[in-house]
Amino acid sequence: MFAPFGKEKILCQLLLFFLVLLILLATSIASSSSSSFRVSNTAPSPSNYAFQQEAMEALLEWKASLYRHNNRDHNNSQLLLLPSWTVMAANGSNSSNPWKWEGITCNDEAAAAGGVITIINLSSMDLQGTLHDFNFSSFPDLLRLDLQNNSLFGTLPPTIANLSQLIYLNLYKNNFTGSVPVSLATLNKLTFLHLGTNQLSGPIPLEIGNLSSLTVLDLSFNFLINGSIPTTIGGLKNLVGMYISSNQMVGSIPMEIGNLTKMNSLMVSDNLLTGSIPISFGNLSKLNFMYFYSNSLSSSIPLEIGNLTNLYDLQLMNNYLTGSIPQEIGNLRSLTRLYLSKNSLSGSIPASFGNLTNLQSLQSSDNLLTGSIPASFGNLTNLQMLQLSDNLLTGSIPASFGNLTNLVRINLLQNQLSGQVPQEISNLSKLQDLQLANNHFNGYLPQHICINSASLIFFSGSNNHFIGPIPKSMRNCTNLMRFRIDKNHLTGNISEVFGVYPNLTFIDLSYNQLYGEISRNWGKCLQLTNLKMTGNKISGRIPPELGDSTQLQGLELSSNFLVGQVPREMGKLSSLLILKLNDNQLSGTVPEDVGLFSKIERLDLSMNNLRGSVPKQLGKCTYLLYLNLSNNRFNGSIPVEIGNLVSLQILLDLSGNLFTGEIPPQFGSLNKLTNLNLSHNNLSGSIPSTFSEMLSLVTIDVSYNELEGPLPDNRAFRNAPMESFIHNKGFCGNVTGLQPCISPSTKKQTPKHSHKVVILIISILAILLFLLFAFFGIFSFFRRRMRCIVEDPIANQQ
Amino acid sequence: MDLLRFLLFSISFLLAVAVSPTLSSNSEVNALHALRARLSDPTNVLQSWDPTLVNPCTWFHVTCDSSNHVIRLDLGNSNVSGTLGPELGDLRRLQYLELYRNNIEGKIPKELGNLKNLVSVDLYNNNFEGEIPKSLVKLKSLRFLRLNNNRLTGSIPRELTALSDLKVFDVSNNDLCGTIPIDGPFGSFPIESFENNRRLNGPELKGLVSYDFGC
Repeated sequence: MFAPFGKEKILCQLLLFFLVLLILLATSIASSSSSSFRVSNTAPSPSNYAFQQEAMEALLEWKASLYRHNNRDHNNSQLLLLPSWTVMAANGSNSSNPWKWEGITCNDEAAAAGGVITIINLSSMDLQGTLHDFNFSSFPDLLRLDLQNNSLFGTLPPTIANLSQLIYLNLYKNNFTGSVPVSLATLNKLTFLHLGTNQLSGPIPLEIGNLSSLTVLDLSFNFLINGSIPTTIGGLKNLVGMYISSNQMVGSIPMEIGNLTKMNSLMVSDNLLTGSIPISFGNLSKLNFMYFYSNSLSSSIPLEIGNLTNLYDLQLMNNYLTGSIPQEIGNLRSLTRLYLSKNSLSGSIPASFGNLTNLQSLQSSDNLLTGSIPASFGNLTNLQMLQLSDNLLTGSIPASFGNLTNLVRINLLQNQLSGQVPQEISNLSKLQDLQLANNHFNGYLPQHICINSASLIFFSGSNNHFIGPIPKSMRNCTNLMRFRIDKNHLTGNISEVFGVYPNLTFIDLSYNQLYGEISRNWGKCLQLTNLKMTGNKISGRIPPELGDSTQLQGLELSSNFLVGQVPREMGKLSSLLILKLNDNQLSGTVPEDVGLFSKIERLDLSMNNLRGSVPKQLGKCTYLLYLNLSNNRFNGSIPVEIGNLVSLQILLDLSGNLFTGEIPPQFGSLNKLTNLNLSHNNLSGSIPSTFSEMLSLVTIDVSYNELEGPLPDNRAFRNAPMESFIHNKGFCGNVTGLQPCISPSTKKQTPKHSHKVVILIISILAILLFLLFAFFGIFSFFRRRMRCIVEDPIANQQ
Repeated sequence: MDLLRFLLFSISFLLAVAVSPTLSSNSEVNALHALRARLSDPTNVLQSWDPTLVNPCTWFHVTCDSSNHVIRLDLGNSNVSGTLGPELGDLRRLQYLELYRNNIEGKIPKELGNLKNLVSVDLYNNNFEGEIPKSLVKLKSLRFLRLNNNRLTGSIPRELTALSDLKVFDVSNNDLCGTIPIDGPFGSFPIESFENNRRLNGPELKGLVSYDFGC
């Protein structure tokens, strides 16, 4: 057999091909009665039938690759994943009909073109897998590929460029990685390219500028795309929407973008872009949305921006923009949102802002703006939110603010604003949030606040020079949640000025000159967690009704003129973390119920007239970090249960009382306590040796007591100045100014070594002396005897 | 038609994003808010931690100084679990970090070394693992370092002997190894500060190579 070659080979193959086609055609006609076409009954032409087959096979092959990645039960996955994509029809016949496959749309309008797959839409189908086994070349007529909102991953195959007719490509919200394939740039019919919310990395290909039909380019929220925005992007003359936000783009914004005059939305926020906003952007006359926030843009806002009369929403916050805000911005008559916060903008707010009558939200906080708030702001009748906090603004709030009836939030915190707050502010019936703290405001608070409407929820006027009373109309502010007016010069009687506030959580009136009594209504504010009135002239008793506000966690009434007892009912406040009643004229005893403050961390009752013993139940408050009972008239012994307060760290101060008896040795358990003051009492005995276990002690004061005996072995004692010990009965110890201890117990403390040596020397000397005397005694005895013997022989010989 | 739909979709999405609470401009609010996100808080100890406030100084368990910077974080015995993160390093003026007796796990963030004003670090009785960060050597004001009763491993960083203000150092009941330093303040710590570390050897022998390798 000879191998066919050239023309014969081709002829053979063609013949074979047509034969197969004929057979296939025959079988399809035979079963065509059961299958139905969507639009017409025209049988597919033979050539397209083959393509259709190819496409079907490609889809099935891809579907099979998805199986591998699907974590569903494999047995069931046949049924759950693209169940319609099957070669077997429902009735068991052999016909396959991609017209019925879900997500697949075919175009069979033109009989000549036949049925070809034009749309693949598999959005939100929970698909998992890659595109690596997707044979793109099998879909030469595909117009739309929509795979958005699945869990597809892996890289984007460059072969995707085989979809040469593609108009619409949407891969939004998957897990694709790797770079944007350069080959995508050859899809010159592409109008819509959405690759956002994936994990694509690498640069934007320069060639992207070739996609001259492109109207939407979305690469946003990949977080990893880097490099510069290519200048070639200026070639996308039809571009309407460019979204590159939330990536790592560097370099400047290309001025060529100014050529894209059909542009409607330009969002490049949350990148690392530097340089200035190009002047050419003034040409983008159709621009509605311009989001450049959270970059490193510098230099000033070009005045050409004022040409963008269709701009709705301009967001430039969180950059390094400098210079003044151009007054041309006042020309942006369509503007609803203007966000310039967190830059270094200086100069005044242009008066032309008053022309922005559509403005709903103006934020320019955290800048270096000076000058006054323009009176023309009174024209901004649509304004709902005004945020100018953290600037250097001076002058007063214009009275024209009374016209801004749609205002919901005013935030002017931390400026140098002065003057009286216009009373007209009280008329703003939608106002929920008024933040004026940390300025130089003076005069009265708005006296008719909440008369028209109880809309106010948050108010802060702290740290100003407000004078006069708290407005009587405050009773009507029934939606109030937080109210801070601390550090002012407010006066007036507060006994009747506050109503019941069911939503109130936090109120701070501290450091004013308010007088009168604490209202019982606070007990009805059942959401109250923080009540602070420190440093006023409040008198009367602490109302027992306060105990009903059981959410209370912080109660600070220090430095007032409160009298009477600490009510027992306060024991109901089991959530209390901080209780400060110091520096008042409270009398009576501390109720045992103090033990019910099971979570209390700071308790200050100092500087009152409290008497009696400290209840031992206080030992149950084991979360205490700070306990100050100083300067009262407490008597009796210090309860040993104080030793249970092992969390005590910041201070234990019992000074200035009439405590008697000994210091409990249980204090040794307080090993986190850094500062201890027991001075000015009548404590007796010695300081327990267990104090050596108080390892954290830094300062100690036991002066003005009746204490005696040795100082404990504790570094804080050794380092303490003389004043910490003076006026006691008789301390001793190895500290300068104190006598050394001579009682037997002290001997144990002094080193034994030197004593041993002394004893040794003395005993040796004693023994030597004894031996010497003994020796002399014996010697002289024998010497006398010797003399006698010597003398006698002479006498005997005569 | 699709274009319009897409634009409308993206506009509404962006509107939602812009209206939702953005990061506070106060870095300490953000740091504590991030900490709260890491912690599991069944008894709602962190209920007052409102990130929309201008600073965290009215939050319970947080103490600020007169310039509204956080100096104390008191969360001892608070039944919290979870982990700590690098955001703690943003609390630049922190002096007291009290997180003892909880169920916090994970590593001790090395960013703690950035907190130059730290006086007290109490992480004892938790589930901390990993090593004691060497970065703690930067804490020149540190007086109290209590890391006992955790699952810390590795050796005691020699560098800590330079912390001359250290009064209390407790690493007992961990899984530390190597030898106990004796220089500087370590000369005065009682042996109980180191007990119950199975592989921790006695005080280092001077003049010999330290045995911390292979540890």
